[in-house]
Amino acid sequence: MNTIRDIREVIREEPVMQREILAAVKLGPMTIPEIATAISRPADEVVFWVMGMRRYGKLKESKEATDGYFRYGAPEVRS
Amino acid sequence: MDYDVLVVGSGIGGMESALKLGDMGYKVLLVEREGSVGGRMILLSKVFPTLDCASCISTPKMASTIHHPNITAMTYGEVDGIRRDKNGRFHVQVRQKARYVDEAACTGCQQCETACTVAVPDQFNADLVARRAAYIPFPQAVPKKAVIERQGTSPCTNTCPAGIKTHGYVSLIRSGKYEEAFQRVADVTPLVATLGRACYAPCEDQCTRGELEAPIPIRRLKRFAADTHYGRKDLPNVDRPQANGKRVAIIGSGPAGLTAAWQLARQGYGVKIFEAEPQPGGAMRLSIPSYRLPVEALERDIANVTALGVEIATSTRVTDLDKLRSDGFDAVCVATGTPSSAKLRVDGEDLAGVQSALSFLRDIKLGAKPNLAGKTVAVIGGGNVAIDAARSAQRLGATAVHQICLERRGEMPAHTWEVKEALDESVQLHDGWGIAGFTGNLEVEAVDLKRCTAVFDAEHKFRPQYDDSDRQSIRCDLAIVAIGMGVDTAAFPKLAPNGSRALQANPQTLQTSLPWVFAAGDAVDGPTSIATAVGKGNRAAYMIDRYLRGLELGAFEGIDDRLGVMDKSQVLARQKSYTPRKVIKLSLPLSAHPQDFAEIEPPMTEAEARAGSGGCLDCGVCSECGQCVETCPADAIHLDMKEKKQEVEVGAVVVSTGYKLFAADLKPQYGFGKYPNVITAMQMDRLLAPTRPFNTILRPGDGKVPERIAYIMCTGSRDKTVDNPLCSKFCCMYSVKQNQLIMGALPLADVTVHYMDIRAAGKRYEEFYDQAKSMGATYVKGRVAKISEKDDGNLVVRYEDIENGGNLVEAEYDLVVLAVGVQPNKDPVGLFPEEKLALDDYSYVAELDEDLNPGRTNIPGVFVAGTASGAKDIVDSILHAGAAAAQVAAHLEEQAQAQRETTQAKMKVLA
Repeated sequence: MNTIRDIREVIREEPVMQREILAAVKLGPMTIPEIATAISRPADEVVFWVMGMRRYGKLKESKEATDGYFRYGAPEVRS
Repeated sequence: MDYDVLVVGSGIGGMESALKLGDMGYKVLLVEREGSVGGRMILLSKVFPTLDCASCISTPKMASTIHHPNITAMTYGEVDGIRRDKNGRFHVQVRQKARYVDEAACTGCQQCETACTVAVPDQFNADLVARRAAYIPFPQAVPKKAVIERQGTSPCTNTCPAGIKTHGYVSLIRSGKYEEAFQRVADVTPLVATLGRACYAPCEDQCTRGELEAPIPIRRLKRFAADTHYGRKDLPNVDRPQANGKRVAIIGSGPAGLTAAWQLARQGYGVKIFEAEPQPGGAMRLSIPSYRLPVEALERDIANVTALGVEIATSTRVTDLDKLRSDGFDAVCVATGTPSSAKLRVDGEDLAGVQSALSFLRDIKLGAKPNLAGKTVAVIGGGNVAIDAARSAQRLGATAVHQICLERRGEMPAHTWEVKEALDESVQLHDGWGIAGFTGNLEVEAVDLKRCTAVFDAEHKFRPQYDDSDRQSIRCDLAIVAIGMGVDTAAFPKLAPNGSRALQANPQTLQTSLPWVFAAGDAVDGPTSIATAVGKGNRAAYMIDRYLRGLELGAFEGIDDRLGVMDKSQVLARQKSYTPRKVIKLSLPLSAHPQDFAEIEPPMTEAEARAGSGGCLDCGVCSECGQCVETCPADAIHLDMKEKKQEVEVGAVVVSTGYKLFAADLKPQYGFGKYPNVITAMQMDRLLAPTRPFNTILRPGDGKVPERIAYIMCTGSRDKTVDNPLCSKFCCMYSVKQNQLIMGALPLADVTVHYMDIRAAGKRYEEFYDQAKSMGATYVKGRVAKISEKDDGNLVVRYEDIENGGNLVEAEYDLVVLAVGVQPNKDPVGLFPEEKLALDDYSYVAELDEDLNPGRTNIPGVFVAGTASGAKDIVDSILHAGAAAAQVAAHLEEQAQAQRETTQAKMKVLA
């Protein structure tokens, strides 16, 4: 279900949503729709948050898409 | 003349004109409003028809522009106005906006971006992703230097009398940085837990969110940060700085004194506080009841101060300032507050049982709690102290508590919510009554009232009027008077008083009549608030430090010179719509008959704190959270930077301000802004660029790799319904380019283009179009009538299929791209306040003789380059900019020749 809110309003919430998204992907990388279901938020809003987090190194995508979707998870920390 | 030419705008046209003129030897000033040169071209994926990488072509030009010896490039600048004088020269008002980053020191490492706590739409990625308030425009930016976007001071921060960066700690809490939020408040005062409970939160009154559903709970967020911090076990955890050898005495340990001590001790001063009462804290400890401010919370705050090595001498009254000096103190701060109570001056005030509120509350806080069981209490006053006294009397078991005040309820100086809470706790309010006197035999037995008909006169001065015929009497066993407080000015005879109830000090420097003595807080201002006193304590410390370092006392940097406050309407106008948020309501468990002094307000949960802080609108954009400053390894960020204005004289002006893209939501039938999987071609170009906002081409609705993609041509161009009959000239070809790039990136994708006709009128353009068709792109002639969305986010496009009988057909796609046209940029008109820069019939900058003299405008010496004069592709923009440069050169040579002839003529006359 998509509900378009003003972009600025959605993007402003990214810092708040980071923790919920990171908690959701803790057990393994997830697609955007899976994350949306896990945190009960619209997928189009999750795209903004995930891409913002990806941009600043908080999430990393899988190498290949499965059934049209990439998976996003916390980047591996090199020791 | 400072420069030969001013070039306004640094897109491909502006850069080309500047470079050509620079190569010819002219001195050029190039002004670009963004943080990097490059305009739109640098943001594209590739260029048609060669499919050369746009970055690869742009970046050398950008670097040449910045490094050209004859070009001065001012990025993040503005031209505020251009005036032509009688000699044909131009006087230009230019403004270097503050980027708050030292360009020489910034290495472009982006650590400030990563640390920043404010997310805003990234205009360089067509709003597809967030950037931060601290940002580098794009990866290929030239110069690659950060900018901190600060549009003004957020109203919450601006209004905080303590000078706390309110927006800063709210945004830190929003980002889960709770300890950093605590430290942001502690940058100003050690009283974080105290203010988190007992501040009256003027910030919330100013919160822009209050114009929507409700202000965000700023005070409680501060308490949350304090509760979280004090929940740690390794406290107090403060760094003691190296002693600087100088000593400061502070008289009084209230909010002003403790804050001044905190700030001075953190700078290495040896600080000793002298407190007349047996325990430190001033009014916070002795006047504010524990149900509002538990002693433990205050003590935790005070422990921060003593952990720095500050000594607090309690039960020590100081009046001899000279002795402090002879004892080795280099400066003194008088912060004694307002410990004396005003008197009613009515009959019976000396009866036993008539007591000031300050002494009543003090007794309770020092442990001498009177037993009021079975007694009736009258509290006189309408302020917050009176409310505190009344509610405290309830807790001590009084049978009845009557609060009597001159004002009507709506006029009471006490906060509305405090009055309500008192009434909820069964305090009986008698508003609009004055005190005629007290009656009793040695002990008070009743308070006599007379009707107050007006509290203030016509000039709003306190001048109560009474109706003596309207009287009543209330029986009482105890009368508590809370009608005002003042400083004991007699205690410091060497300091000039300000009237009878405060000390005199310079309002900016807080220096008194004795240069080495400063006075802060309520001792100077009269009764105010904890936050106000904190602000004054902070200011006093700043001034004392400057005084002791032999520096001039002047403005309080960071406070007196902060950016102007953001206009709330401007903040709200940033969004087209707002979704109401759930208000974090505070429901206090108030009892009609409270029995104890246990704290009433429950702590905020983490979920409440994050939801509450999440409502912040980031009014000033940058929150001043300070994370970028702390993180920057080059120490390049300076939030005290100021914009610089200057006037320069130039011989000619080139307007190269480019175009604006059509706002796709003006065609509502296409669903842009309503359906997330309808995007613009500029957004698609960003998705195709190597520096794309997503990891690949994904649809924004759910991150799916699209398989069926539709293009709708001529969105907002060749369309009289949106008042733009012009063809944008390059939409067809950029769409064809994108078609090819999509099929290269997503080999399985189907691309369908709905067009009116394809305009491929350029060298190799037709072949380029044929190449896209041969790669598999489908071109369907016919207009699209409507787009609708399915539950799965797919889009149903209803269109006319002209070449197959003109039938109305529906087709389903994963993603729809609107090939938006261009619109004129009318901004250049505002550059010339004294002359009208002519526009053509379509609002582009008019070229008077387009065919023979391209680039010339109606103002002699002003030229236009690139798309500011009409839609052009990149090749044509460069050609046009070159032509404009040639026109400029001709104009400058004509002027120079005319000047030479004038000079020669004058010399002949002289000879």
